[in-house]
Amino acid sequence: MFKLDRKVMISASVFAATALFVVGCAGGGTGVSKSCSSTGLASIDGGVYYPAVNGKTGPYSLDTKASGMKINNGRIPTANELKAWDTDVMADGTGLPEGSGSASDGSDVYDAKCVSCHGDFGSGGAGYPSLAKGNAYTLKETLLSQRSKEGAEGPVRVFGTYWPYVSTLWWYIKDGMPHPMTGSLSDDETYALTAYILKLNEIKVDGVVVDSDYVLDREKLLKIVMPNVDGFEPKIAGPNALPGIRAYYANPSNFGAQKVKLSERCMTNCQTSTAKTVYVQNGGIKDFVPPMATARDLPKVESKEFDSKKSYEENCAACHATTSMGAPMFGNAKAWKSVKAKGMDAVYANGINGINGMPAKGGTALSDTEFKSVVDYIISSSK
Amino acid sequence: MNSKDSLSNEKKLDRRDFFRKTAVLSATALAGTSIFAADDPAIIGKPDWSQKWGDPVTTNLYGMPSAYEHNVTRRSTELLSSGNFRASIAVTPIHESKGIITPNGLFFSRSHGGVAQIDPNEYRLMINGLLEKPIVLTLAELKRYPSVTRIHFIECPANGGQEWRAPQFNSVQFAKGFMASAEWTGVYLKTILEDLGVKPEAQWMLSEGGDSSKMGRSVPMDKVLDDAMIVWGQNGEALRPEQGYPVRLLLPGWEGNLCVKWLRRLEFAAEPWFCKEETAKYTALKPTGKAVQHFYANEVNSTVVSPSPEIPWTDLKDGAVVEIEGLAWSGMGTITGVDFSLDGGRNYVKAELKGLVLPKSWTRWSYMHTYKKGEKLLLTSRATDDAGFIQPTIDQETSVMGVESVYHRNAVETWEVTENGEVNHVQIRS
Repeated sequence: MFKLDRKVMISASVFAATALFVVGCAGGGTGVSKSCSSTGLASIDGGVYYPAVNGKTGPYSLDTKASGMKINNGRIPTANELKAWDTDVMADGTGLPEGSGSASDGSDVYDAKCVSCHGDFGSGGAGYPSLAKGNAYTLKETLLSQRSKEGAEGPVRVFGTYWPYVSTLWWYIKDGMPHPMTGSLSDDETYALTAYILKLNEIKVDGVVVDSDYVLDREKLLKIVMPNVDGFEPKIAGPNALPGIRAYYANPSNFGAQKVKLSERCMTNCQTSTAKTVYVQNGGIKDFVPPMATARDLPKVESKEFDSKKSYEENCAACHATTSMGAPMFGNAKAWKSVKAKGMDAVYANGINGINGMPAKGGTALSDTEFKSVVDYIISSSK
Repeated sequence: MNSKDSLSNEKKLDRRDFFRKTAVLSATALAGTSIFAADDPAIIGKPDWSQKWGDPVTTNLYGMPSAYEHNVTRRSTELLSSGNFRASIAVTPIHESKGIITPNGLFFSRSHGGVAQIDPNEYRLMINGLLEKPIVLTLAELKRYPSVTRIHFIECPANGGQEWRAPQFNSVQFAKGFMASAEWTGVYLKTILEDLGVKPEAQWMLSEGGDSSKMGRSVPMDKVLDDAMIVWGQNGEALRPEQGYPVRLLLPGWEGNLCVKWLRRLEFAAEPWFCKEETAKYTALKPTGKAVQHFYANEVNSTVVSPSPEIPWTDLKDGAVVEIEGLAWSGMGTITGVDFSLDGGRNYVKAELKGLVLPKSWTRWSYMHTYKKGEKLLLTSRATDDAGFIQPTIDQETSVMGVESVYHRNAVETWEVTENGEVNHVQIRS
């Protein structure tokens, strides 16, 4: 039976990693051996491991009788409960259900449920990420770009250029999208959206570029090799992943860290002659909510009256101040005239319940009365 | 011991000497101070609070800060926000922080689909995968496991991540406040796993939230069996909704993003999951074109918190003796020391650590300074930890990580004091 005794763990195959670092300590590796001998064992993250010794871990006392007990709270989940919550999808296809959808179907779902945040053709908007910027294979080269100099273009990190596996996209869309109502898309809709996003990124499957007619299914999804699949370190897959991660973080130069003997750290004349002071430009970012203040005074009493203009600006403008989200644009008399033609009761109801890409009440927590007053404000300002 | 000795040898100062010394110094101080100011109305006057009934003890059955403290709040900015501040962050006012504990209402708040409001009666934690026995726990059942209480900071790995190319925030709240610290109460995950029997091929644990974003991350077994905790208590009360009420994962020292809030499910497997937040985000792109993934521990770090751009020295008088205070922290171990510089990191002296010095915890440090009106200073701090790490210079860190990696920036921070006593966030670069 499984026991959480560290000695037992070391002998178990799962903890080959642990065994390895013990050897590393005894063998006197470089940076690791120092921390092993002085203050404890090295941990997988490159830091110190504080073992439970003599009833203490670090400075904390332990109730040593609280470990090694069988407490056996809880119960075994039912098959249906597991099915409801155990919905993760792994890179090898574990958890990925059968189903299919075409890129053109995905385009329709996208325009209905995604465009209001992610913009036309996944171009991004309202603070949400772009889903594509063009041909992923070409743009992947930009991962070598650094904005070290003024005006330089930075790396393009979108699904096609950066993400290592398609399974991640499928799982995230299915469980985490769209924000106002997650878990609402069917498996086929998720395949269709995945196909559409693959198309936007011009991804190839078996040498064929995904186009509008492309129908994605489980088998095809698992064949896709993403352009940046080898773009990450340390390696985290495979049976030797954990020792590999431990070795990676044992070397500070892998991740920009510095180790030093305390007695050897620089205390005087530590800068090069070219060191200069760099300032925040033009006041920097300062649109803080609420604005920065440190006074000890009584808060101003805010007007209780509902401000529909302010509410529009805070809640609606992100989509309605532009045409790119597919929403009727604020101030566009023609667009709002055709909305109004449905009758105001229908307009209110559509807004309150959500319509096309717009979530219920635009995703706000406004009361019906407040929401209607915002609608009135928008329409009266769009004549 | 004669009086001359007591003044010249502070280490031997006993109680009787202290009074003798104070008396001598007070006389000196008084002689140099204007004591003929006008009467202070705060002393001469009689405000209502000094004469009339106060509030009944039943007025605030859950106590709130004084109304005068209303400016001490979390803050956000559009730049860091999407979804009307739902996939966003509100950061901690560390310029107002004292000690090593953040009040629960000021603890930085990051969510990926808004702050979920969970009914604790409907809360369930499912643990499944490569186990002899999967389980479901109610909140009451979870809380009946033997508890442990630990003080740890939680830091967003993007703390300071907007400033790889240059300083962007003239504010310590925004430059360094993507973190906070609390005393957490929960159960070691390994204690629960005693019941469940982890199969030997399990190398990874998925932790998944029950909020609308279903935030997930893969955690290696090393951390699970070391100090990983499932927590429900924060500074002596239940977690706040912003911290994942009723339950979150706590991986001491590791990226805040890994400490999944509104925790709903843990699953054990032989391979990691490549979750969205460990591939698309929370990966640090290097100039080689490769990105560091599974970048676990927040490295050794520090900053001055007083003075700050928010609370500068514009009111300090010439000759004022003033404490420069800061925080140091490391997700890799315990702070062993902080070096402090008045010239932007050219020359350092040792600062003093104050109070509790705990593993993977905020640690207070201090440096006493005699202020000279009109002086220009560049305040820089540099911390070390017991894993052997020291904060890099900006040049050292960017030489390896470039300027596009977003996460895990821990180079030294510098705060300029101008001749007017104003404080600006600056960087020293070659």
